[in-house]
Amino acid sequence: MPSWTDVEQFLITGLSLGGVYALSGVGMVVLYRATGVLNLAFGAVGAMGALIAWQAINHWGFSGSGGFWLAYLVAVLFGGLVTLAYGMVFGPALAQRDPLVKATATLGLALILLGVMDLLWPSSGGASRAITFPTDNNTFQIGQISVTYTNVIALVLGLVITVVTGAFLRFTKLGTAMRAMADDREITAALGVPVRRVTAAAWFGCGCLSGIAGVLLADLVALDATTLTFLVLSTLAATLIAQLRSIPITFVAAIVIGVITSEATPISSISNYRDMTPFVLAVIALLVLNRRRVISIGRQGV
Amino acid sequence: MESAGVQSAENTTAAAGSDAAPEAAPSAPRTGRAPDARSFVRPAVIVALLAFVLIAFPSMFSQYYVDAWTQVAIYSIVTLGLGVLVGRVGMVSLGQGAVLAMGAWVAARLLFATSLPFPVVLLAAGLITMLLGTLVGLPALRMSGLYLALITLMLAGAITVTLANINFPNGGHGFTGYNGASVHIPPIRRPSAAITDTAYFRYCVIVAIVMFVLVLVHLRGRPGRAWAAIRQSEAAALTAGINTTFYKLWAFALASFITGVAGGLVAGSFRYLNSLTFTTQDSITLLAVVLMGGAYSMWGAVVAAFLLKFLQALLNDWGLSPDWLTILFGIGVLQVLTTAPRGLVDQVPKDLAKLGRLLAKPFRRSPAAPEREEA
Amino acid sequence: MYHHSARVRLSLAAISVTGLLVLAGCGSSSSSSTSSAASSSATTSAATSSAGTASSSGTSVSTSSCGPKPGVKATGTPINIGTIDTKQPGTDFSDGPNMITAYYNCVNANGGVNGHPVKLFVEYDQTQPAQVAAAAKKLIQTDHVVGIVGVFDLLECTVDQSYWKSLGIYEMGAGIAPECWSTPNSAAVNMGPRYSSDGAVQYGLSQHPSKVVFVQSNVPGTGYIAAGPAALAGAAHVPITELTENVPINDANSVALDLVNKAGSGGWVVLNFTPPEALVILQAAQKLGLEDRVKGWGCSTPCNTDFLASALGPKWNHKLFVNAELTSADDHNGPEMQLYKAILKQYGQSVAGGIGSFSQMGFLLGKFSVDALGTVKGAYTIKSVNDAFKAIKDEKTELLCQPWVYGPYPLHIPNNADFTTTPENGKMVTAQQCFNISSADPQIAQYRAAAGTAPSTNPPTS
Repeated sequence: MPSWTDVEQFLITGLSLGGVYALSGVGMVVLYRATGVLNLAFGAVGAMGALIAWQAINHWGFSGSGGFWLAYLVAVLFGGLVTLAYGMVFGPALAQRDPLVKATATLGLALILLGVMDLLWPSSGGASRAITFPTDNNTFQIGQISVTYTNVIALVLGLVITVVTGAFLRFTKLGTAMRAMADDREITAALGVPVRRVTAAAWFGCGCLSGIAGVLLADLVALDATTLTFLVLSTLAATLIAQLRSIPITFVAAIVIGVITSEATPISSISNYRDMTPFVLAVIALLVLNRRRVISIGRQGV
Repeated sequence: MESAGVQSAENTTAAAGSDAAPEAAPSAPRTGRAPDARSFVRPAVIVALLAFVLIAFPSMFSQYYVDAWTQVAIYSIVTLGLGVLVGRVGMVSLGQGAVLAMGAWVAARLLFATSLPFPVVLLAAGLITMLLGTLVGLPALRMSGLYLALITLMLAGAITVTLANINFPNGGHGFTGYNGASVHIPPIRRPSAAITDTAYFRYCVIVAIVMFVLVLVHLRGRPGRAWAAIRQSEAAALTAGINTTFYKLWAFALASFITGVAGGLVAGSFRYLNSLTFTTQDSITLLAVVLMGGAYSMWGAVVAAFLLKFLQALLNDWGLSPDWLTILFGIGVLQVLTTAPRGLVDQVPKDLAKLGRLLAKPFRRSPAAPEREEA
Repeated sequence: MYHHSARVRLSLAAISVTGLLVLAGCGSSSSSSTSSAASSSATTSAATSSAGTASSSGTSVSTSSCGPKPGVKATGTPINIGTIDTKQPGTDFSDGPNMITAYYNCVNANGGVNGHPVKLFVEYDQTQPAQVAAAAKKLIQTDHVVGIVGVFDLLECTVDQSYWKSLGIYEMGAGIAPECWSTPNSAAVNMGPRYSSDGAVQYGLSQHPSKVVFVQSNVPGTGYIAAGPAALAGAAHVPITELTENVPINDANSVALDLVNKAGSGGWVVLNFTPPEALVILQAAQKLGLEDRVKGWGCSTPCNTDFLASALGPKWNHKLFVNAELTSADDHNGPEMQLYKAILKQYGQSVAGGIGSFSQMGFLLGKFSVDALGTVKGAYTIKSVNDAFKAIKDEKTELLCQPWVYGPYPLHIPNNADFTTTPENGKMVTAQQCFNISSADPQIAQYRAAAGTAPSTNPPTS
């Protein structure tokens, strides 16, 4: 059994991991609430933004602290523009379809980005890339462990997004319009809401969120296209526990998943199975929360 | 053949209203037709094609491509299973890759631990995978649409982590049959009649044909009609008295069974298995090719397997990066979902017909010939 | 109508994707390849300039010394050699065969082998065993190769060993699977994960820690790899804990913390991972302030890159000790090293990683195979060529600690003496000169009983 100091130390790393999951989980739920699309390419878009930022810092001469933030801006803009382009080209064509179809289409985007990233930034010759935030060098102590301010930024950012977007979607006119459109596009259009502009704002905003999260995750996890793209699997667990509805629950669920996964690390008998934590928790939650049957009236499948 | 069957089921469901169960509805539109020469042509062509593939194919290609065609044969079973789920019942499963891995694991364990004949091992692998698949998927079947797809993704993730930890059998002892310190790993055995690669190709094609026939029998019978009804509208099917959970379970069991058998064939083909062979991305590309090939017809399954395995071999032979294939599949998914829901198998003949009409336009005598708008 | 406009949209999307690719390709790929050609993807200016001076002194040697007749192009019937290599997203070993091709091109431009040019047929695979087996058959039956040189593959030694045995083929490569060192038909120029981990643990044991923690990625063969360090620690009576981690690693912080806790303040942590994963663990340890919480850190040979040294920063100077299976191109610049750099520069445009262990191994494989082919009298058949390969002995080279040998032994571990490097301000420098891997590892003992112990020589300095 791990000692109390063990539990305490792994709690800190667990909060760090949870912050990672929370950041991308909240981003995905926000997009779902605003556009009705569960963007499974969230991680891929962020990864590509991070790789472009890496390219800028290391090969296009964006050096120093100023260069870093400029590269970050480029990554965020890239995320926004790619997601906007996707939303404007494929959004209307799929608007009437089931959320399943819309999510499957984003899988197509994820595959395209995965292929492009591996072509442009190959892994030959033992290459390993890293992106470091300026705040990585500033740390504070909790017990025997130093914590970088980057971890704090990730957690705080996740919290800020939760609060701000929650309020935005609920209390502002644009936010309400987005929610209405996610629910039913035609009725919203009939009510006189400028559909195309609202859609564009939703896609662009959420795309920027991918870019912001992408560079942070590249620093906190790894700058690797496959790792960052498939990180969405674990963050999906948090979004599923929140039933794709509540942003605060997504945040809390992500933190809990991170902490449990981390606390399992020192326990040798289950340590290698701790990567299953998000999946197991999601399945349990889905089964418990969906005890009542939901029958859909319309056509099934794609 | 199969599309007509689906249509008749759909007609009867629409007309059924609230009292007539699909079981009671006679296949009225079809029995009215008298058998004529044309209804023999299509099966005859198929039989001839299969005979050609079995007999002549291997000598036409080098060993490298014979192996590629073997993979096409094996994976056409997997894509068939996913096609049944996606196209016939409307359940999108993002975890068929993990089911295939389970089947391969069971088959490898049995092949090392026992001296059962290969076909028996295949059957056992199929049945055990079916059992595991339905047990694991049973609670999920109450859901539908996006939640079902996501829960299959979660389950696949859990299975992948488990397999990475217990590893694939490599001739060791104990329940897992994995000897981590092995210095010489023995290969998985093949059927005694099909040890060479060419013979194994034929063996896989035969097994694939058997699986296709199995699915066809299902589609023509009661399950096929029930599935069509559920696909059209689960609520209407329920009101018509169909036990939707039971039939969804049956579809899942069938898909798991044939995928388990395919897993056994993979074990015999690869002869050395490890956790790197089956990745999460495989499940996603599997769905992509099934959508592209066409989830609604049996030929679509073959086209999907061709896209997945043969193109990979081709690109590898030409020295092109497999990333291009990933990009192609991504574009294909987007294309299919937005414009051609029935996939390549349906779309390509239509496109070719359109192209034919376009080319024939200058040669047509009457300038005022009306163009039929292709919906 | 609906479908028509959707088609237009889709074609626009496809065009924009292609455009994006082309634009980005022009922008990034050329710059990344030029920068990586300068050194093994180092990012600091210090590392780049040091590699620059090394290569400029390297070009003083003419490449024509690679062949017997300088300037004379070989025009006889080609000698076909084959290889199978892993190339997939995340694992790309193409630098190895590309360097061998560069070496062969140099030799072909300078007299060839007894007037015959040597041609390398490369088959790539994506870690699918059936592909690897089929590639082997293709090389023999379609391409009619007479020897297999340059296999850098995760699976090949396992899958093809019985086929090579049936044909009498003795392959040479840079191995990964256990069979690359445990069968008569395969010999490697590298040490491989088990023996390189042995070397890293051996250095750690020489510092008298209270405990060793050995952690590796959870890919197939972990038990085989871990058996080496376990034997070494057992012989030294030091307790050892063996762990595996699933890759890719999402939670490097927890991993680093766990390692440090298990090792304790007198412990030694040894990593066996590919560079990206080792980097995230070490960086996490640094961010958590844990790097001084143990006596020392070790890593197997994949960590031996200047890229890792510069990415880690000065806190790891003389704290991380990496087992190095090849002489560093930065520290040493004898005539052979200069020839290697010159060939790389003149013929090795397709070697993306530039100077580094993959291209060094490719150079060695090219050299050993050409030297052996030169001894063949008469026709170049599978029998004559592989007899020559099997007869290779006493191949002295600056790049290895000891002469390389093939020989008629039941197993082959010809590279069994290494040295140790440590990061110092963005570069890897030598911490310990060549030493023999301990015979406490039973496989090493078995090999030395059959082949004897080749004397390990310190690599000559320039």
